Amino acid sequence: MPAFQLTVNGRRRSVDADPETPLLWILRDNLGLTGTKFGCGIGLCGSCTVHQGDKAVRACQVSLQEAAGTAIVTIEGLAPHGLHPVQRAWIEEDVAQCGYCQPGMIMSATALLADHPHPTDTQIDAVIGEHICRCGSYPRIRKAIHRAAKGGAR
Amino acid sequence: MTSRREFLKIAGSASAGLVLGLRLQGKARPGAPAEPVFHPNAYLAIRPDGSALLTVPKSEMGQGVRTALPMVLAEELDLDWSRVELRQAMPGPEFQHLGTGGSTSVSTTWMILRKAGAAAREMLVAAAAQSWGVAPDQCHTEKGTVFGPGGRKASYGELAEAAAHQPVPKTPRLKAPKAFRILGRPTRRLDGPKIVVGKPLFGLDVRRPGQRFAAVLRCPVVGGTPKAWDASKALAVRGVRAVVQVPTGLAVIAEGTWPAFQGREALAATVRWDEGPNAAFNSQDLENQMRSALQGPADPARKVGAAAPALAAAARVLEAEYAFPFQSHTPMEPMNATAQVRSDGATLWLGTQNPNTAQVRAAAAAGLEPGRMAVHVTLLGGGFGRRSGTDFSTEAAQVAKAAGPGPIQVVWDRTDDIRHDQFHPATLHHLKAGLDGHGRIAAWSHHIAGGAVLRSWLEGQKSPGQAETEANGAWDIPYDIPALDIAFAEVQVPVPLGWWRAIEIVPNVFARECFLDEVAHATGKDPLALRLELLGRRGRVKLGGEEVDIARLRRVLELAAEKAGWGRKLPAGHGLGLACHAYDRRTYMAEVAEVSVKKGQLRVHKVVAAVDCGIVLNPEGLAGQVEGGVAWGVSALFSQITFEKGRTVQENFDTFPVLRSPDMPQVEVHTIASLEAPSGMGEPPVPVCLPAVLNAVFAATGKRLRRLPILSADLA
Repeated sequence: MPAFQLTVNGRRRSVDADPETPLLWILRDNLGLTGTKFGCGIGLCGSCTVHQGDKAVRACQVSLQEAAGTAIVTIEGLAPHGLHPVQRAWIEEDVAQCGYCQPGMIMSATALLADHPHPTDTQIDAVIGEHICRCGSYPRIRKAIHRAAKGGAR
Repeated sequence: MTSRREFLKIAGSASAGLVLGLRLQGKARPGAPAEPVFHPNAYLAIRPDGSALLTVPKSEMGQGVRTALPMVLAEELDLDWSRVELRQAMPGPEFQHLGTGGSTSVSTTWMILRKAGAAAREMLVAAAAQSWGVAPDQCHTEKGTVFGPGGRKASYGELAEAAAHQPVPKTPRLKAPKAFRILGRPTRRLDGPKIVVGKPLFGLDVRRPGQRFAAVLRCPVVGGTPKAWDASKALAVRGVRAVVQVPTGLAVIAEGTWPAFQGREALAATVRWDEGPNAAFNSQDLENQMRSALQGPADPARKVGAAAPALAAAARVLEAEYAFPFQSHTPMEPMNATAQVRSDGATLWLGTQNPNTAQVRAAAAAGLEPGRMAVHVTLLGGGFGRRSGTDFSTEAAQVAKAAGPGPIQVVWDRTDDIRHDQFHPATLHHLKAGLDGHGRIAAWSHHIAGGAVLRSWLEGQKSPGQAETEANGAWDIPYDIPALDIAFAEVQVPVPLGWWRAIEIVPNVFARECFLDEVAHATGKDPLALRLELLGRRGRVKLGGEEVDIARLRRVLELAAEKAGWGRKLPAGHGLGLACHAYDRRTYMAEVAEVSVKKGQLRVHKVVAAVDCGIVLNPEGLAGQVEGGVAWGVSALFSQITFEKGRTVQENFDTFPVLRSPDMPQVEVHTIASLEAPSGMGEPPVPVCLPAVLNAVFAATGKRLRRLPILSADLA
């Protein structure tokens, strides 16, 4: 079976696996990028959110063959030389509790800000409402997104 | 051990490693930072470069212990907070009580850590004073440096080697709280910068050389076993290496998680189960059993006065039944553990709240002495009590032993995680209030029926403290009522039960505080006024042998009510509700919820919380815990696990919905300044949240919801 070619965090990668394998597991098990998290496996929790091109997608819902030939960015590649303003805002607002769902939240937040540089609470909820955080970090996520939008730092 | 209370005392009774003067022999690793030269106790070490390595003796699951506990050490040691690195404690002779639960991490380790830090600081000062030829009390410390007379100064790194030769002080002097420079300041999570860049921090992120992955096909009915199966279908899946039988089911071993899942699906199509004795278990039958049990004998949790005659003689008796469903923990990181078992030793890597028990049980499963099982505790992608269980770690050791010498990560998917949870039990509550001729409560009875978590925890044993444990939150009712009858009637349930964030206190305080609201409305009293009247002007009182400061509870209730504007005019369809509780007799909480109900839709707009937990170590962490506790409480109003044909009806977040961002209320936190010893904050914000919301629903609509979860028909 031929290997699939995809670009992950700017690097060309070749992966030889079942074409139906969700991108989530290719990232985590084949490429060693464990920052993309497994939460539900059916696209309900958002823990596995990555960027495919300029869109935030659920890596558990994209197969290897669908990812082939596209550019994927994961939390590890979001800001290879330092921190993305959203990551900085996340630290400043002390968002994370257990932290497990946060990479997915951050990937969605960065995609949201690319589309809407100054999102309203409703726009934030529309995106973050597709994610789950059991620790209840939602109010801080909202604050962090507003902070990143303002480009401010404490 | 007789009760959860006892258990928590034992768990917290001075972790080992307190023994000062213990010196560890470190082996240098190539490329690693210089080994610490000053290691006066198991909790801290200082390297020649002045950086400090602090050991965290509790598991981090989001409650902030990996920030709050190092803050305590750093405070007494006067460390430079920016030079602090963390090491997670591993079970062993130094650390025999790493169990994390019951909101006890701060209260049980705070003094130990203060002494450990203070002793080390005195040794560093002694070393400096000796080299300068001055008296120790001529020196002071700040941010990792000792300062002496005449402008002399030396960093802890420079002093580390000499400090190691100083005698260990037996009774180090502790700082006065007003001198605290680190404690009490809002401090961000130390792990935050690693979390936001996706570093491998969690159990599922463990990657070892040669690691394989496993998924276990378990019978959906607890207690069921596989009768017949055809492994060839699984073995035909690309990447699957083997199928092995383990006590919990059939493990599919593969090169990756996905092939393991796919192999398991193929195997599932071939398996025939013996579903065992629980195949008919269902929630409706259980509810009927609980209702019968409420009519029969119950184990007393607390009795005051003579409640039965007082109820019989009462001018008026109010009574009601409240119902709380089974719940699942559903931490975002599903259960998992990575295990490697060789003939001479074994290793576990996992997120656990219970490292010592996990070690003992996994070692037994591997046929090894506990000391031969190394346990590496990762960050927990949520715990909420679920990771107090050892089922998943023991199973991982069984799979690793059956599958050969390499490391194996056993991954549960979300359906495994829900279906094989150690559930928070369903309970039914029967409450009665006997009122005298003036409408005052003369007697209060609260009987609870349901499964006993403590029995599940003790692997089937009934302990004498069972009723007290299961009725926690009911028996320690803080109100001044002359006759109390609080009891627990156990109903055996065949599914495993476990402690859940804020444990039995959630349903018990839900029923108690909602029923008290019913009494207020039935007697024409304001719910706040009635509570204040029943709390009275009392100070410290004994409730069932434990001391509670009623004045502290009264203060948080008054503060929450004031900040929420209790009694103010509200928009149409809105209502305010409140509740208060002294959680485990240690953390004083009150919350006021503002809700609206429009077209049958409940919206929780805001929760105002007031808390007195003694000295606040980290206000930032405290606020996060209140926000999280409110989220947990609101979420619990809408979720349930039900059983049909022996298995859960719910399998994932579509059927077990949890709170999402658009439904998160605004949370406002107010704290009482205090010099009392610090207590916990992980759980206390949860229980009062549910009755505060439900009492607000009544205020808004006149509808008294006595049965959870709230269904859309309830408010139509």
